[in-house]
Amino acid sequence: MHIPDNYLSPSTCAVMSAAMVPVWVVSVKKVKKGITKTNIPILGIGAAFSFLLMMLNIPLPGGTTGHAVGGTLLAILSGPYAACISVSIALLIQALLFGDGGILAFGANCFNMAFILPFLGYFIYKFIKDRIPTEKGELFGILIGSYVGLNMAALSTAIIFGIQPILFKNPEGIPLYSPYPLSVSIPAMTIPHLLVAGVVEALFTAAIFSFIKKVSPGMIYQGREQKTKAVYALIVLLICLTPLGLLATGTAWGEWGVDEIKDVISGGNQPLGFTPQGMENGFTFNSILPDYTLSGLPDIAAYILSAVAGTSIFLILFKVIAAFKKETFDKNSKLPSE
Amino acid sequence: MNQKYQIHPVLKVIFTFSLVILLSFSHNFAFVMTILVYTLFSLSLMKGNQILAILKISLWVSLFTFIILLPSNKYSSVMITVKVFTTVTTINMLPHSTKWSSITGAFKFFNIPDIFILVLDIAIKYIVMLGNHALQLIWALKLRSIGKNRDKYQSLSGIAGNLFIKSVEMSKEMYSAMECRGFNGKYITLEKKRLSMVDLLYMLIHIGIVILFFYIGKIVE
Amino acid sequence: MIEINDVSYSYLGIRALSHISIKIEAGEAVAIMGPNGSGKSTLLKLINGLIFPDTGCYRFQGQEITENQLQDPIFAKKFHQKIGFVFQNSDTQLFCADVYDEIAFGPRQMGLSESEIGKRVNDLLELMQLDAFHHRSPYHLSGGEKRKVAIACVLSMNPEVLVLDEPINELDPRTQRWLVDFLIRLNKSGKTLITSTHNLELVPEISTRSILFDENHGILADMQTQKMLLNTDLLIKANLVDEYYHIHDGEDHVHFHDHIF
Repeated sequence: MHIPDNYLSPSTCAVMSAAMVPVWVVSVKKVKKGITKTNIPILGIGAAFSFLLMMLNIPLPGGTTGHAVGGTLLAILSGPYAACISVSIALLIQALLFGDGGILAFGANCFNMAFILPFLGYFIYKFIKDRIPTEKGELFGILIGSYVGLNMAALSTAIIFGIQPILFKNPEGIPLYSPYPLSVSIPAMTIPHLLVAGVVEALFTAAIFSFIKKVSPGMIYQGREQKTKAVYALIVLLICLTPLGLLATGTAWGEWGVDEIKDVISGGNQPLGFTPQGMENGFTFNSILPDYTLSGLPDIAAYILSAVAGTSIFLILFKVIAAFKKETFDKNSKLPSE
Repeated sequence: MNQKYQIHPVLKVIFTFSLVILLSFSHNFAFVMTILVYTLFSLSLMKGNQILAILKISLWVSLFTFIILLPSNKYSSVMITVKVFTTVTTINMLPHSTKWSSITGAFKFFNIPDIFILVLDIAIKYIVMLGNHALQLIWALKLRSIGKNRDKYQSLSGIAGNLFIKSVEMSKEMYSAMECRGFNGKYITLEKKRLSMVDLLYMLIHIGIVILFFYIGKIVE
Repeated sequence: MIEINDVSYSYLGIRALSHISIKIEAGEAVAIMGPNGSGKSTLLKLINGLIFPDTGCYRFQGQEITENQLQDPIFAKKFHQKIGFVFQNSDTQLFCADVYDEIAFGPRQMGLSESEIGKRVNDLLELMQLDAFHHRSPYHLSGGEKRKVAIACVLSMNPEVLVLDEPINELDPRTQRWLVDFLIRLNKSGKTLITSTHNLELVPEISTRSILFDENHGILADMQTQKMLLNTDLLIKANLVDEYYHIHDGEDHVHFHDHIF
């Protein structure tokens, strides 16, 4: 579910980040108020847990990945606000240190996995649990909550992906970012999540929850009785947010009027696989630096650029080979501790 | 980069992010290529094993991107792949060339709340430890399950649950240890460091890149 | 210096300390003994201001230590600077990226300048024979080295009181010897030592006075270490040893018999 950078337009990223800011602010405030100082480390552990869970991912068509997140589990254990912070941190570490998920797309990734998932999952769990106050009701709530939470997050990711080719293309109609429309992105994202990742998430959440409840019941978050209103409010908010994001990205970009979008959408239904002949500068991509020149740059500049690139690549190759040799040489001294 | 060429972490964080943003905005192939070359150049200044670690990730991610986008169109597949490669490499160079404590210090400089930095800090520390613990537990499970173990999944959830409870206890103790050594939940900003010549050079290069972004944008229009 | 007055404490409904009263003067070397789960660690946590008495009161240098008091960051820093705690599990105590940062953590929190910190850290690394470990990650050290670093982190704040929870456990004999000698030197230089241990062999070396806990989480005895070790009945009563325990020639030499026969 991690969206890499450059798959989304910068304006989409900006809108998603802007949507996350109030969520983060409220979460930090709630957590600061509701948690004792000694319980703060639990958030860190939650983040580490979620991180490890997200490492077990499978690549999906559409440029993204499928995996469990553990967001609902964290929300049940330490409250949705704490879960929001934990998952955000896990995503930040992945983006910063492991190149998994983009920096600009960080807001969008958080929106899906650190906002929609834990809050929706938690509210559904709480809603069911408060209605069916038995052991079975609770388990049912956990399964449904985590399953729906993950799948809604996947759907939201698919929508964000799918609106890219509708909203952002160059004058020739070629998409500038992720090129797959909703008709491709939604099935590509949701089917594997409905069938595999969601099931994994639900079973995992239920299993760990039951274990912790048995062994250390004091660890489970005691949220207030969930009001029905809150769930409805959240659902309404979610429904509102999606088209809002769409509209906001459109206006922020400033290229598409409301009437234009119609044409754009019909354009989006064209079969994929257009050729780049219509491109402004008309350069082909057969060779990246054809004849050491780049259109848009003076020849001398392009030449120097090529030279620097060549030298750098040689240096890199040389150092990598040296590192390989060294690695086999002192493999023993480099073994990680047990 | 070498200890000698240590660039001020705040500058590094700012300009790394600005580079990523400019890349994402740019639709000009020449600009994207220029940044790619600049990134390769800075990469070539690093140590061999660091380069290896960085390239492993960025090449893998770009290859994946390229394959995914192959059926769409040439513009998307080439442009986005190059952008993805450059962005991932740039981002990955940051932790490899800056100490983690300096990065958290830089976060503090940007007024990110302490609780966020604290959680981040603890998570980073525990990822390695938890990973190792999980591995050991899985080995123990393997050793104990001779032949077919039908309850393997049951045991796995036990492992994960155990790990969670244990690590929560450990992290609480770690927090007490931090408190005992005078920590009270507030991170300190980085010590004020004077800007060196290298810092100035670094700033000049990056300001140059920003100018180039707008300049190239103009000639194309 | 340390005054604990009729303190009781329970955690999650389980009693951990029951009507404890102790007075420790500056410069003393005190051992806390008792069977597992008798409340030794809890007492050490209380002394370090990590937990607070349910009833009774704890005074450090005449000042009552309460949760409210420690909310004041200036007071908390001063208090934690004066009293250092070496945890039983070194792993939880070491949380920085390298050994240098680990030892520098305390002084940095105290707001010392980087050059002053550098001097302290280097002095300590030399003193503890850890010169070569500057930039190593604490995770990758051996058990003995971890313990050394953990002690160095605490000493870098130059505390007046040093509290150690089972410091000799899980160390090889050579490192045990080194640590015992080191602790003796620290005590001679004027630091107050409070150590919890089960190690009856080494306890007379690192303490002159012993406090013995029983399984009811109360204090069974508070006397000279040498005398306590000779009082087998008392040790059996505390469930610390069994009837096979004995001391040869009244010397501080103890050994344990195989229980098969």
